[in-house]
Amino acid sequence: MRVLIVEDERRLAENIARSLRESASYAVDVALEGEDGLYMAQSNPYDLMILDLMLPRLDGLTLLKRLRSGGANVPVLVLTARDEKESIVALLNAGADDYVAKPFDLGELLARAKALIRRGKGQSAAVLKVANIEINTADLSVRRKGEMVTLTAMEYRVLEYLAHRPGAVVSKTELLEHLYDFNWERFSNVIEVYISGLRRKLEDDDTKLIHTLRGQGYMLRA
Amino acid sequence: MTTQNSFTPFAVRDICCGLEKVRTSIQRRLIVAIVISQLVLAIGLIDVAVFVTRAQLRKAFDVALQGRAMSIAALVRYSEDEPHKLFFESDLTPPPLEAGVPDLYEIVANHRTLIVRSSNWPAKIDVGPPKGERWIATYVVNGIPYRALRLDHIPVLDREGDAPASDFLRVTYASPIDPVNQAVNNVLLYIALGSLVLLAISGGFAFWALRRSLRPLAALTASAGAISTSNWELNPPEEALGTLELAPLTQAMTSMLNGLHRSFTQQREFLANAAHELKTPVAILKSTLQSLLQRPRTSDEYRAGLEEALDDMARLEKLLHSMLRLARAEQWAAGNLRRDLTPVDVGLTCQLAIERLQAVAQQRDIKIDFTANGPIRLPADPDDLELVWSNLLENAIRFSPMGETVRMSVHSNNGQSCVEVVDHGPGIPASELPRIFERFHRADTSRARDTGGYGLGLSISKALVEAYGGTIEPHSQPGEGTRMVVTLPVQR
Repeated sequence: MRVLIVEDERRLAENIARSLRESASYAVDVALEGEDGLYMAQSNPYDLMILDLMLPRLDGLTLLKRLRSGGANVPVLVLTARDEKESIVALLNAGADDYVAKPFDLGELLARAKALIRRGKGQSAAVLKVANIEINTADLSVRRKGEMVTLTAMEYRVLEYLAHRPGAVVSKTELLEHLYDFNWERFSNVIEVYISGLRRKLEDDDTKLIHTLRGQGYMLRA
Repeated sequence: MTTQNSFTPFAVRDICCGLEKVRTSIQRRLIVAIVISQLVLAIGLIDVAVFVTRAQLRKAFDVALQGRAMSIAALVRYSEDEPHKLFFESDLTPPPLEAGVPDLYEIVANHRTLIVRSSNWPAKIDVGPPKGERWIATYVVNGIPYRALRLDHIPVLDREGDAPASDFLRVTYASPIDPVNQAVNNVLLYIALGSLVLLAISGGFAFWALRRSLRPLAALTASAGAISTSNWELNPPEEALGTLELAPLTQAMTSMLNGLHRSFTQQREFLANAAHELKTPVAILKSTLQSLLQRPRTSDEYRAGLEEALDDMARLEKLLHSMLRLARAEQWAAGNLRRDLTPVDVGLTCQLAIERLQAVAQQRDIKIDFTANGPIRLPADPDDLELVWSNLLENAIRFSPMGETVRMSVHSNNGQSCVEVVDHGPGIPASELPRIFERFHRADTSRARDTGGYGLGLSISKALVEAYGGTIEPHSQPGEGTRMVVTLPVQR
């Protein structure tokens, strides 16, 4: 999953980014002002946007309205210092999906972010189940037939992304776009390394879980 | 509390905080004043009435006395037996004025011959020497006060044939004066009783009327009691507005409430603003600590995290300090600038500010050029001035390209001291100019953030300059740098 944080306080943005990377294994990009944030949101397929309202150059509410009028349906979680009813109503009407009031609890922010991403993908439970595999997005643990499986961070990212859209064909490009932030060099063949790692840890001779559709991409299905 | 209220005539006592406080009551005082003045008036009226009545009755008494005297004088006849011999015809003596108490009379002819004397004429009575035609006096005879009238030179009414009237009579007639005194006493009694009744009635009326006329005060008190921090509107009741004496009080209360409301609102706004602006730095600090705790870390990581938290704290502290400074400056600007200010040299405060920022300037290889046109002194707190110049210089340095020069100059102009800070930075767009003094306004994005500014510096400077009665004006064109001009009056 790939998240965009638009927040002008660099330290706050960095703390949220670190938390999302460490505790949710998300790829995170940061924009420090509104114009950059809007451009990045429009040019990359993010799975979630975390948006501050008080931003230089372009304020958060205007950014949100422009983003929505451009047809983007990325889930948006707003960070606000105000918690008056009117401004919350205005926010939600402008297309925000959820909000947290500053000073927020990082754990709560994380939980809301995960919930928004799940809902954005049509899921509602925090534990995703495909065949005999259980993926707990809350603590990033994976079980196969009830037994804990140890995955690398990138393997988990790939599995989680596929598991959010079971039965759908996910192209390699899509995976690259959603699993890496700007700071990573993207090599398309690396994806195949993670896929083979996942197959080795989760599949046996009887069950095939990750299917390769030549020229189209991958699909997770029982 | 209420049981302690004993109704003393002039004051209401109550026990408060262990101290006995005596409260005077306007109502009681007024009633007492009214009753006393009415009493004085009544006594005066009684006096006058008694005096007049007594005079009138005496006059009537005297007229009656004279009538008596004349009538007994008429009883003096010439004897038919002896010519020129006068005698008193006692059979025809009129009855006394007051029944039971006989009158006194004496008739003397030609100052020599006693013609008649009433039987009760006292042995020792000194009517004294003749004192003119008519004389009147009061005596006490046998314990009874008498009023006596003496008429002299009354010709004998009786005519003896053609004889010439050569005999004159001196008639003294006295009657008891008691009836007159009695009547006067009666009048006194009636008037006194009447006055007492009227006094009671008018006192009661005064009490009722005072109660009634003090009602607007009670109504005003009630509406003043309804004032609270959520309701600052004094709704003076119609009866209070229509009362001449209460109008100044109502007015004073209204203006006092307006002042209080303003300052209360200001304080509350500041508090709300402060709480709001503190949310972000607190959120930063909190997120730093929470992300540190999210997973087990090495001691180096913990150390780095704690240092970050300390940085966050320092910024929070700086913001708090700035906000308090701003609040104080704005309070001064609103007219509460205290202080016994001594004149300070403006140029000196500029140099202090330059020294303070020299390190920052050197970091960016920026030279600060200072010119002062003679010493200019004005009454101020040097710390305030230094802070203003520091804020201006800090902005100038921050927005200047590396290696540039920031110019600062001081000169006097028409009794004003003028300080200019000029930079060769990117300048401020015309649309931004009016907003640069707004609280928490930040001109540029990441640069301002990295230096830890919270957008309060110019707000503080403006409030301070205004507190000293001066102005601060930005002159800027995009691409041509910025010139900030501060003008401070030398004489306040």
